[in-house]
Amino acid sequence: MHIELPRDASLDGHLVDGAIGYLTLTTGIAFALALAFLASALVLHRARAGRTRGHHTHGNRKRDRALMFSVALVMFVAIDVTLALRATRDLEERFWRYPAADSTALRVEVTARQWAWSFRTAGPDGRFGTADDVVTLNELDVPIGRPIYLKLRSRDVVHSLYLPSFRTKIDAIPGMTTRLWFQATTPGRYEIACAQHCGVNHYKMRGLLDARTESDYREWLARAEIDSRLRDDPAAPSAPGGWDWETGENGK
Amino acid sequence: MNTNANADAGDDGPTAEDRDEIPPAPTGFLRRWVFSTDHKVIGRQFLFLGLGFLAIGGVMAMLIRWQLARPGAPVPLVGRLLFGASGGVISPVAYTALFTMHGTIMIFFAVTPVLIGGFGNFLLPLLIGARDMAFPRLNMASFWIMFAATAVLTASFFVPLGPPEAGWTAYATLSTAIGAPGPGQTLWVVAIYLNGASSVMGAVNYITTVLRMRAPGMTYLRMPLTVWGFFLTSILNALFVPVLAAAMVLLFFDRVLGTQFFIAGTTPGAGGDPILYQHLFWLFGHPEVYILILPAWGIVGDLLSFFARKPLFGYRVTVGALIGVVILSTVVYGHHMFTTGLSPLLGESFMLLTMIISVPTSLIVLSWLGTLWRGAIRLQTPMLFCLGLVFTFGVGGLTGLYLADITADMYLHDTYFVVGHFHLIMAAALLMSLFAAIYFWFPKMFGRMMSEGLGKLHFWLTFVPLNLVFMGQLVIGYEGMQRRLYDPSVYDFLKPLLPLNRGISHAAYLLGAAQLIFVVNFFASLARGARAEMNPWEVGTLEWTVASPPPHHNFDRIPLVVRGPHELAHPAARSLGRDWLGQAEIVDDAPAASPTPPAREPA
Repeated sequence: MHIELPRDASLDGHLVDGAIGYLTLTTGIAFALALAFLASALVLHRARAGRTRGHHTHGNRKRDRALMFSVALVMFVAIDVTLALRATRDLEERFWRYPAADSTALRVEVTARQWAWSFRTAGPDGRFGTADDVVTLNELDVPIGRPIYLKLRSRDVVHSLYLPSFRTKIDAIPGMTTRLWFQATTPGRYEIACAQHCGVNHYKMRGLLDARTESDYREWLARAEIDSRLRDDPAAPSAPGGWDWETGENGK
Repeated sequence: MNTNANADAGDDGPTAEDRDEIPPAPTGFLRRWVFSTDHKVIGRQFLFLGLGFLAIGGVMAMLIRWQLARPGAPVPLVGRLLFGASGGVISPVAYTALFTMHGTIMIFFAVTPVLIGGFGNFLLPLLIGARDMAFPRLNMASFWIMFAATAVLTASFFVPLGPPEAGWTAYATLSTAIGAPGPGQTLWVVAIYLNGASSVMGAVNYITTVLRMRAPGMTYLRMPLTVWGFFLTSILNALFVPVLAAAMVLLFFDRVLGTQFFIAGTTPGAGGDPILYQHLFWLFGHPEVYILILPAWGIVGDLLSFFARKPLFGYRVTVGALIGVVILSTVVYGHHMFTTGLSPLLGESFMLLTMIISVPTSLIVLSWLGTLWRGAIRLQTPMLFCLGLVFTFGVGGLTGLYLADITADMYLHDTYFVVGHFHLIMAAALLMSLFAAIYFWFPKMFGRMMSEGLGKLHFWLTFVPLNLVFMGQLVIGYEGMQRRLYDPSVYDFLKPLLPLNRGISHAAYLLGAAQLIFVVNFFASLARGARAEMNPWEVGTLEWTVASPPPHHNFDRIPLVVRGPHELAHPAARSLGRDWLGQAEIVDDAPAASPTPPAREPA
């Protein structure tokens, strides 16, 4: 059996894989040691003829306690503290450092609903909620090599945008805006999934993320913008909202 | 071997004074077996109710596994009966209802009643040397309210628009009228509320009983760990089930009265907050994990000592660790919400606090391992299940660290890794402790022994597939598969997992079938098992000083406790020709074993 994570196509996914790998190694060692101890106890200290009494332990409590606390402490430092420091560093330096001021970042508004994703980018005028917005359903096209900065909302229930090949996910919650950023490194088509149970057809809430080279992306954008203009009907009640990027207020 | 020696307090029979205190046993059928206030009868009522729902929840798990192994194929044998409208195929609606009800039933209506209602009730007074609970009628009410809750939950299957489908966590707004318009979800809310009311009644009763009803000399540090487990669990229940109840009341208002506590962004002007529901739910929901595992830890601590024929390693440290877990369990719930965009400060705090809880937990595991070392281990059926718990809890506990780590959790959150992790604790470890408890206390409960041969067979045919199922879930979660998918093959990256899913399902069927051995053993032993002696396991806690099953008033004379619960391999017992001393046994040449006199006389 071949056990592996999905293909990593992201800039920072290796940090997640690294944390998981470290955990598997350290908890594996701890578990193996405990199991070896357990097995030897069961082999060496089983009741048998001539050995029906256990060893009476009262008196050396101090030593026992010192032993317990030191083993627990070693484990805590080797696994938990190390991981917490590592995670805090990765979160603060990478995952939670949103490219808000980065002018090269591609900004995408994500609207989730039962049971589809719509993705809106601002178009040439750089403003959301205008006629040149590019809106796609269940398909997110992004350039590689630039940060992708998503803001998410939901129109009905809680969903969760899950990008297995980018090692990340974030909930889309009605009434609030959540955000996520990642950067694609390898062109290709990757699946977008919903991770939060959102009703009977939760399993069908699938999308595709198309990571393209910059020139390929620009070509696609030009085509998609024309399509979007043709489809745009501000009066239609079903038109995906669009909101003011900075304030989060509805744009139209 | 004189197994009666522990009962010297009762040898002379009750004195006239004792007889005055002993309540007369009820005689009518209804008072004795239905509306009984006897903790032993109520305990058995909870046990049977819970085991019944355990079977129903288990069948649901089998159906879920069928769908994951063969998406869209008609269910054999029972398919036409259960899913007639779709030709025996589990529809997406039915599948959603199945996993919702599987979780709800297993947590609230199977494990809770068996472990806390069943064993908590049966054991607490016996283990502390009391004649009954502090509030026997409240105890009876607790059972019958639980019974009403099961009736309401069952009714939710048979209403228009179908059973509840919002998952056992019932996140808003999916659980409000926006996602679940039918009355099924409303009935679910009522059932959970009633279930909570029952739990709080039990909790108040258990706490009072432990505080006020202990026999003279039963100091806190002479209580069996089982008592500690139920006591601490009750404290958590009393504190945090009301939080769940509050969430249920608000959700009920949202559904029935048109309020918008949890509704936002969906209808004009809706100013509630769906995240508020998650805070309330997990503020209860994380302590709930410990509510269920604490009694299991307590039972396993005692039983490991009993079957290793050796005092528990680090009793005081273990008690301290249990208390530490209780305190920490109240401040870690945020790790269930890492993907909701918690503020960095909250996220990092919850990550650190969650990791700190691994310190007391590892102390508890070390106490188990240390207890086994240099024991004279008897591998009888209850012991096998305890060792099974040590194994599954080890894997389940360590995999929790992956989910405490926010970076790893970004990927693993809401995948089958989570499912595997919490099943290793909530299903595997808890089932192990349940079975250990049943095999161990069955003689005391019903006066007969269960078959050792069938018990051991049951253990191996449970332990092996159980681990295959839940570790298999860890693997498919690691490979990225989300929870609660009707048909994973919708996703290309999950298509290669089908053979693995099938393998997990086959192990699950084996696990399910193996439980029939237990059912046969249980009922055959009930009818024809060998008569149990007073103290078949040769241990010193108080329940083994009374007849099997105990008389209505438990103790003819309230015992005077002189030592702790784990006095095995005691040198003073050698002259008695055995290796254990009873908690209330006065032995002339063993004064050193109990240097501290009884601390206080309980009222």
